[in-house]
Amino acid sequence: MSALALVPKPEAQPEPTHAFHRDLNGIVHLLTCGSVDDGKSTLIGRLLWDASDLYEDQRENVRRSGRKAAGTDLPDFSMLLDGLVAEREQGITIDIAWKYFDTETRRFVIIDSPGHEQYTRNMASGASHADVAILLVDARAGVKKQTRRHAAILDLVGVKRVVLAVNKMDLVNYAEDVFKRIEADFRMLCWKFGFWEAVAIPMSAVFGDNVSARTSAMPWYKGETLLEHLEKVPSHGTAFDGEFRFPVQTVLRDGCDFRGLAGTVSSGQVKVGDELTDVLSGETAKVVRIATMDGDLPSAQAGQAVALQLDHDIDVSRGAVMARSDAKPVAANTIEGRFVWLSESPFDPRAGYLLRTVTDLIPISNIEIKALLDLETMSSHPASGCAVNDIAIAKISLGRAGAIDVFTDTPETGTLMIVDAVTGASIAGGIASSVTAKSETPVDGHFILTREMLANGLCRDLSLNSVDREEFTRRANEAAILLRAAGVAVAIEPPPPVDDGMDPGI
Amino acid sequence: MTASPSHLDLLEAESIHIFREAAAQFRKPVLMYSIGKDSTVLLHLARKAFWPQKPPFPLLHVDTTWKFRDMIAFRDKTAADFGLDLIVHVNEDGIKRGINPIDHAPSIHTDVLKTQALKQALDKYGFDAAFGGARRDEEASRAKERVFSFRASGHRWDPRKQRPEMWRLLNGRLGTGETVRVFPMSNWTEKDVWRYILREKLDVVPLYLAKERPTIERNGQLLMQDDERLQPKEGEKVVMRKIRFRTLGCYPLTAAIESDADTIESVVAETINAQTSERVGRLIDHDQAGAMERKKQEGYF
Repeated sequence: MSALALVPKPEAQPEPTHAFHRDLNGIVHLLTCGSVDDGKSTLIGRLLWDASDLYEDQRENVRRSGRKAAGTDLPDFSMLLDGLVAEREQGITIDIAWKYFDTETRRFVIIDSPGHEQYTRNMASGASHADVAILLVDARAGVKKQTRRHAAILDLVGVKRVVLAVNKMDLVNYAEDVFKRIEADFRMLCWKFGFWEAVAIPMSAVFGDNVSARTSAMPWYKGETLLEHLEKVPSHGTAFDGEFRFPVQTVLRDGCDFRGLAGTVSSGQVKVGDELTDVLSGETAKVVRIATMDGDLPSAQAGQAVALQLDHDIDVSRGAVMARSDAKPVAANTIEGRFVWLSESPFDPRAGYLLRTVTDLIPISNIEIKALLDLETMSSHPASGCAVNDIAIAKISLGRAGAIDVFTDTPETGTLMIVDAVTGASIAGGIASSVTAKSETPVDGHFILTREMLANGLCRDLSLNSVDREEFTRRANEAAILLRAAGVAVAIEPPPPVDDGMDPGI
Repeated sequence: MTASPSHLDLLEAESIHIFREAAAQFRKPVLMYSIGKDSTVLLHLARKAFWPQKPPFPLLHVDTTWKFRDMIAFRDKTAADFGLDLIVHVNEDGIKRGINPIDHAPSIHTDVLKTQALKQALDKYGFDAAFGGARRDEEASRAKERVFSFRASGHRWDPRKQRPEMWRLLNGRLGTGETVRVFPMSNWTEKDVWRYILREKLDVVPLYLAKERPTIERNGQLLMQDDERLQPKEGEKVVMRKIRFRTLGCYPLTAAIESDADTIESVVAETINAQTSERVGRLIDHDQAGAMERKKQEGYF
């Protein structure tokens, strides 16, 4: 039985009567973020306690600890969250924690992210996986600098739905006017961003008011509880509109005539008979099979991992992005984008950097930091350097072309990671805001690593098969990195035309 | 055409994606095969990821010599059925020193025969990446794990130096001396594992299914007597009980539960209605607060 088949599976064997037996309908990724002491861990703990299928021993741990929520006689629900010993000792969240729970109809993944500014990069990483974000504020403090900062990061990484949880309403006597003021500030804030949906909910996580149950404490509030709202959020993996993209991860063979491009459909849909293009080689072929171990499929959509067999062999390998010829990504040599600087090491113009896309790793020939974003005002200020937690607008020149989209049009193939060529560290995560095929190289002073030069020397031992071609590319990239680290501006010669019978293309 | 995929479909596709990324990015990966239900699903996902090829890596079993006999038989049959290379590694030095889970504290047994043994095996064969079936829902420090979990030289895990992972970008470029543990099932839960085993009709070690077996009750936990090395202490006796296991490890360290669930279907029903998490049956995790975090820092999976 195909795991990817689109017909419902016959239910096996006696049905358990419990409500949680179903194969759940999709997955919703929920990010929680807020400043220190906004009560974030308590809110998630409360949500798990009230609405989820927690195990009894997990509940017992909370009861047995005797820990109480500050100033109350209620259990400390935040215990269900903070994991690391250092975090328990310091009473803060340092790293993202992942929690899973099922309600009757769906799987929720809670991504609990740190509130502290020092860990903004962890928050950005967590946010990149989210379908909806809960921004927490303390009713006594309202929307703060950190709230604005978080909203800006959510917008940057592509989160479209936001809930403002106005927590600790019990500490402001459940006053409607306090909530209304905060809600108005929030509306002003959201107006600057591209969110599709933004709602504010007054609550008290400690007492559970408006978390999963309505409360008599705030009769003036007629809106949804947090859980009611979350149950309605469209789940991940149900957005199949958008242009077809298929980043190729690897090529699979059966030893006979099957040669399948393996990958995950990152957007849109494909069906047998569709004509696809690889923008890097410029080649086109028709899909003849969509293969899985469970059998062939007539079509595949975003989120499905398959292998595509084409009607004739074209020069496509890892790093290519298959698309329809009338709506394809750009074979980009220059990208402008917004990046969250993740590394403790500031930008170093002489360091060797690589650009990772979904399945490609491309040597960077130059990074120009153009500006830093002020998350308070959302205005940008010219800059030439950047350091940890900064949001930078940067122009990147690539050593060779990569198949890249503008993030706001086709998100997944517009995501980028700058990688340190030597340590391998993830330096900055970002999104492409504009991509152009125009190469800034070669210009005077650039050293060009030609195909011939590589084939006659460093890659002399390689043949024309696809494994060796990947190795050829890898060596070319590494040579470029070394040259660049030595201060030589370098470009790698673009791939050859397909039919020239030359040695391995890049 | 646009029917929503179920959450299992999404989890399966994500795992396949991770397998393919890791195999493309690392030089010499290995699949940590520990024979249990998570390994069963892990291996099945690996087979799907590379079909029609075989998975391009061997299986590695770190054998403490204290695994249930049924587990060893199942391991050998699985490798043979799928035509996969199986490497079995034992910490011979630890065995010579007489380390065992009956006379020594569970933490010592685990450290010497599992953690040290795993490190020995990874070093011996020069694997730069090891797939594991660990899930974030298992335990608090696991909840913070990355999909690509980097280990400094000596296989040490520093929770504060983990690489940020954003969107679907998996950065597997290694620094000097670094290796990586890859967790394709990071986002699965215990219930998903069973639902998937049922859906895909996978074979599991028979110990997961209830049957009359010889047991000893010790410290409120039910141990199964798998061979003569486990003997009743003063005041204990061997009693036949209908038991099964929710999780499988070294047999004197893995507690059974009394159950009538003798089919996968009834195990799934029981798991979904369960009131306690599976690690209650794992005695090594109860040693002390932060036990798993400490073990991970030392190089445990």
